[in-house]
Amino acid sequence: MNCREFEESLTLFLYEELPAERRTACEAHLAGCGACRSALEELRRLHDVLAQRPRREPSPELMVECRQALDEALNREQLGWRGLVREWLSPLRFHPMPRVAMALTLVVFGFGLGWTLGPRAGRVPSGTPAVTPSSLAGVDLENMRISGISRVAPDPRTGEVRITMDAERRVILEGSLDDPRIQQVLVYAVKSYDNPGIRRDTLDALRARSSNPKVRGAMLYAMRHDPNAGVRLEALDAVRGLEWDSDLRLAFLDALEHDANPGVRVAAVDVLATHADETVLPVLQRVAASDSNRYVRLKCASAVRELGR
Amino acid sequence: MADGICLELAGNVPEQPSRLSGVDELALVRRAQEGDRAAFDALVRLYDQNVLRLALRLVRSPEEARDLYQEAFLKVYRSLRHFRLDARFSTWLYRVVMNVCLDYLRRQKARKEVQAPETEEGEQEYFQTVADDRPALDPERAAHSKEIGRRIQSALSRLNTRERMVFELKHYQGLRLRTIGELCGTTEQTVKNSLFRATQKLRLELGDLV
Repeated sequence: MNCREFEESLTLFLYEELPAERRTACEAHLAGCGACRSALEELRRLHDVLAQRPRREPSPELMVECRQALDEALNREQLGWRGLVREWLSPLRFHPMPRVAMALTLVVFGFGLGWTLGPRAGRVPSGTPAVTPSSLAGVDLENMRISGISRVAPDPRTGEVRITMDAERRVILEGSLDDPRIQQVLVYAVKSYDNPGIRRDTLDALRARSSNPKVRGAMLYAMRHDPNAGVRLEALDAVRGLEWDSDLRLAFLDALEHDANPGVRVAAVDVLATHADETVLPVLQRVAASDSNRYVRLKCASAVRELGR
Repeated sequence: MADGICLELAGNVPEQPSRLSGVDELALVRRAQEGDRAAFDALVRLYDQNVLRLALRLVRSPEEARDLYQEAFLKVYRSLRHFRLDARFSTWLYRVVMNVCLDYLRRQKARKEVQAPETEEGEQEYFQTVADDRPALDPERAAHSKEIGRRIQSALSRLNTRERMVFELKHYQGLRLRTIGELCGTTEQTVKNSLFRATQKLRLELGDLV
């Protein structure tokens, strides 16, 4: 090993990150090279200096502040857009605000109302490019990078839905629930979107078309796989009225036997009790004997008794 | 290895009330993935002191550290469903945290906002928000120590984002280079190069103190 090679290894030598063979070579070189021993000592002194950097712990106050802020952020995350609206409203109701801030809040809220209740077409806020149903065909949803969905708003009177989402830019898609592209976005939202509030709203919007095979598939997927129990329950409620078949039976049996949430299991019992056949009864009996939740066991036992009459 | 990461990062940490076994932690992760908020909160409590401490060392300003802390855990919350249960949760969590830290530092660097508090007011504000764990010093030594600390912080702030992160994790947190590579999503060789460049820059910046 020469001095240049030692210099290249010096940093790792001091951190004891060299392979054994290389380290041995360095030690052998050091034994006979005063200049490299000096370089090593200089780097050790630099480490001594760096060790004087104050080592400070987060104060308890900062820790508490961080935890509280995170808690609030997680609450908003769970509530979805309803939580955001509530958050807009709460300072308006309860806290005095400077006039400018108040005016801004009113503008924001007024915009929200107009957006929700206004006529379906032609009321797009300035600065928010909208894609109307007629131009929807020009939007390449397959390749659009969707970063967030802000709102899903079904209109029960017209059966149409408005989806606001952030892609490369914020876009508003508006159209019939029968539009395959609208369905594509909604199915994506049910299956993949992070915010459980949006997933619930989307399921709610899709209810009107739950007999559509793609929509039905997304709902069954949500019922079996969504990580949020509230969303699974919403999905279960959305499919319970559909024409009964083997897919539905399997999904409900799966929910009864494997869902972690007792509320979902209880809801599954109610539905299965009305569609009991030779495959359902043994499962109800098994769960009546073994479920960890007493109420679920009672519900199953009651369903089994009813079916035996 | 993940336990190693946890212990190494926890090296300077006041003892935590209890440490969960891997099985207990896995149960918490499962419950959190199913939407159990209390389970997620419990996971946060296991790691959040270390995350905040690391954030404070990287960004200095308590407000920035709080933002980083929140951004990191929100990202963990949003992507928890993608965590595979056959992997180590702590490794995955710290990887998410590192990514958030790197992104944050890059953004801050771009805005030229990453620097030690230069004004007296900035120093005072910082010192009031974080607790110094060293024994009290006499005034003269305290002033000298403060000056050294300021010089070190200034030198560290001149490293680029990756060098800064690698140096922090290697020199101050004592992680192995391979582990740092895994956390930062890069190769061990890249980590070595970053550490080498960081050391060279610090030698130049702090040479007169050596």
